[in-house]
Amino acid sequence: MSDQNGPNWNDLLVRVGSHQDKAAFGALFSHFAPLLKGFLLKGGGLDPEHAEELVQETMIKVWRKAPTYAPAQAAASTWMYTIARNTRIDWLRKHSKRDQQTDELVAEELFDENETSSPFTALIQTRNAGHIKTHLRELPQEQLQVLTLMYFQGKSGQEVADELNIPLGTVKSRVRLALQKLKLKLSPNGEDSNVVFAQ
Amino acid sequence: MINNHPTADMLTEYSTGALSLAPVISITTHLQFCDRCRESVASLNALGGALLGECEAAPISQQLLADTLDRLDAEPANVFEVEEPEQPFLDPKLEDQLPAYLHKFVGRKPLHWQSLSSSVSVAPISVGESNYELALHRLNAGGRTPAHDHKGMELTVVLKGSFSDENGMYHEGDFLIRQPGDVHRPAATQNQACICLSVLEAPIKLTGLKSVLNPFMKFNPS
Repeated sequence: MSDQNGPNWNDLLVRVGSHQDKAAFGALFSHFAPLLKGFLLKGGGLDPEHAEELVQETMIKVWRKAPTYAPAQAAASTWMYTIARNTRIDWLRKHSKRDQQTDELVAEELFDENETSSPFTALIQTRNAGHIKTHLRELPQEQLQVLTLMYFQGKSGQEVADELNIPLGTVKSRVRLALQKLKLKLSPNGEDSNVVFAQ
Repeated sequence: MINNHPTADMLTEYSTGALSLAPVISITTHLQFCDRCRESVASLNALGGALLGECEAAPISQQLLADTLDRLDAEPANVFEVEEPEQPFLDPKLEDQLPAYLHKFVGRKPLHWQSLSSSVSVAPISVGESNYELALHRLNAGGRTPAHDHKGMELTVVLKGSFSDENGMYHEGDFLIRQPGDVHRPAATQNQACICLSVLEAPIKLTGLKSVLNPFMKFNPS
């Protein structure tokens, strides 16, 4: 799950959690902070200054939560992705006019990512990480574009459809094809869905 | 055995952060029961991690690391001991009926159970969201709800007990999606009350429920 020639990010993250190791944190920061900033800027709606604010907030959460990180469950990048996503959700909620009363609820509580998983799950996750790494660069541009809009911008399928001016069904099938190509199996009765959530 | 799950599309939007609070809470609740969907979400998150790892890096200010380390130095030393917040309003009778995950939402404010009929009661859970109403529903043992249809989408997670309708029988952990226009008439099993978490997009067309829920609703009827 780490670059073959680079440092093992998972190990560094474990060291941050177990030893409050600031050198390890610094190494993670130098690698991930620019990626996180790129990720957040691609999301749109954030200027570089706010993006750095969120990067800092994300990395501080990484420091605080590192003792709960379990490398068998997720790669460091996956774990950081969920923290960055939650940070972005909270920031957007704080700055939106809706949902004013929800200040005390934070995304981290809603998603509850820290449940333990079985050794079997860990095995699947390792295998998945391999498949994703191998095939991500082979995805057709149109599939990658849809995934990027959804993951980087937190856009719903419907919003992506509106933005690209294509039918919702096309968005869904591109996501499905991409997931197939990455060999990610999702739970059953996922085939037919006309569910559209209110935004 | 859980037979009813969120759709793949829902799980994807869950992982990418596109869903509103109440649907997120209903899906996370389902994950407390369902290893399979938990694995799906872990896979989708791994894709997010891979996309982050492949992302075009943006140069950051030189000072940012030093600033961040300064802020960490100012952290209280005991930050690693995560304390579970107290849930002053959690009804002890409900405590073992709900997954621990839900305690933090259900216990924040006192629950007000309102009878909708002789066998059904509902208790709204306020999470301050404008598009959806989150609530607990309780169906007494053997109870039957009046037939009703849905103006908006409804998501239901069975938390305790089981119920059935025209389409089948639903057990703990099952995740049901009702589309606008679906009509159904759920009934609890004879020997045990059924408790569900529900997310309503718009009020169910049913006298009584509407008047109960309306003060909490801020939806836009079409």
